[in-house]
Amino acid sequence: MTAKTRIMAVAMIATGLLSLASPSLAHKLHEKGAAVAVANAPLWVTPSRDWNQLSGRIGKYAETWTLDGGQLNDVTFYGGIPAGESLVRERSKKHDPLPKFTAETLLIEVPELVERTYRAFKGIGTFSLISTDPAPFLGKDGVRFTYEYTDDDELTRKGEARAAIIGGKLYMMTFDAPRLNYFGKTIADYRALADSATLR
Amino acid sequence: MSLKRCSFWLGLVLSMGIFAIAPADAQERSAVRQGFQLATNSNKRILVFPPSVRVGAQSTGGMFEPNAEWTERAKMNIQGALKILQAKLGNQVIVAPDADGDQARNLHEHMSLFAAISQAVIEYQFFVGNRLPTKKRDNKAEIFDWSMGQSVANLPGADSADYALFIYNKDAYGSTGRKMLQMVAMLGGVGVTSGEHVGYAGLIDLKTGDLLWLNADGAMGGDVREVDGADKRVAQLLEDFPGSQIGKAAQQ
Repeated sequence: MTAKTRIMAVAMIATGLLSLASPSLAHKLHEKGAAVAVANAPLWVTPSRDWNQLSGRIGKYAETWTLDGGQLNDVTFYGGIPAGESLVRERSKKHDPLPKFTAETLLIEVPELVERTYRAFKGIGTFSLISTDPAPFLGKDGVRFTYEYTDDDELTRKGEARAAIIGGKLYMMTFDAPRLNYFGKTIADYRALADSATLR
Repeated sequence: MSLKRCSFWLGLVLSMGIFAIAPADAQERSAVRQGFQLATNSNKRILVFPPSVRVGAQSTGGMFEPNAEWTERAKMNIQGALKILQAKLGNQVIVAPDADGDQARNLHEHMSLFAAISQAVIEYQFFVGNRLPTKKRDNKAEIFDWSMGQSVANLPGADSADYALFIYNKDAYGSTGRKMLQMVAMLGGVGVTSGEHVGYAGLIDLKTGDLLWLNADGAMGGDVREVDGADKRVAQLLEDFPGSQIGKAAQQ
């Protein structure tokens, strides 16, 4: 590696680190009962309790809400992912590519897309898909699935998701929380949020 | 592009990010659950679990690379320091019985949950510039409401104590590449940290799982690979433990 490329590499890492460290804009409050559009999409939800929207986005079509922090309860909305896009932003297209939602992706294949995305994006080795069932979402045919995985913080988390493919785009809501205490404590709030979701 | 030009752009990028890194001093490090008090010699029994210790190197990109030898050494040093200081906690101390198999796995998962809660408290309630709106509201009302849940009541030794002390340490020492990055970043007028030294100590109510007291810091002192460093670390973690004289003794 030449001195020039070494400095460029260090500069790129520095930029990456700074962007990670930056709190950027403040987190936002979504109050109980106030309908709101999420994930830059015509996807509307009406929360049954107050939620915090995290300022950072993990993807162009994603938005994350939490009660106590992403580590403890994470609701992520995916607002109409078009064919050819990944669920979350790729860190490196060359070195760390993520699976894509395609025009050929079937509803039944969405859980596997989530699994492959989590494995690559979160760098996890242990992921189990627990159940997959047909269930309407946004008034259309949809899928509801549950899963469990252990992250690199060595904490086992449970997840539940609902998804539908509408007009060739993927709409989905996921909920992830540690299986100890936090998943059971908040799953009803997530389900109420998912039940309130509509496309306008 | 010349090296001079590279340095200019690097400096510019880093300067732009200067406000993105918050000064650690602006942050709270400790909190107590509303209404909780623990007097010295109050006949309360404190269960002390073996501290969780992870030590390794920090790669240039900031990734944690575990080091088994450092971890073993640090574990021994921290346990030694804790053995001395736990006698000064101000109340009866019960050392948790050895756990193995499922019990050990369950304890490990609870320790990981404690670490995740501590991290969330630092990130979203202590860090002034990054508070969640609902936590801001809690802060105004002096509410510190975090819980590990009632499953703590099933941990080994929990039936013979009132509270449990959890201690979690993770130390990543900066690699040569990371130190180089730090030096180059310094030229741009901003501090990029080399190394990560995280320490959390928390007191948990063994009936409810509620977090009663937390001392959590993402930038602890003391090289835990050395005996003196581990002594300093454990004293720092327990310095304002409710009902203890550790902090006062350290100041004298």
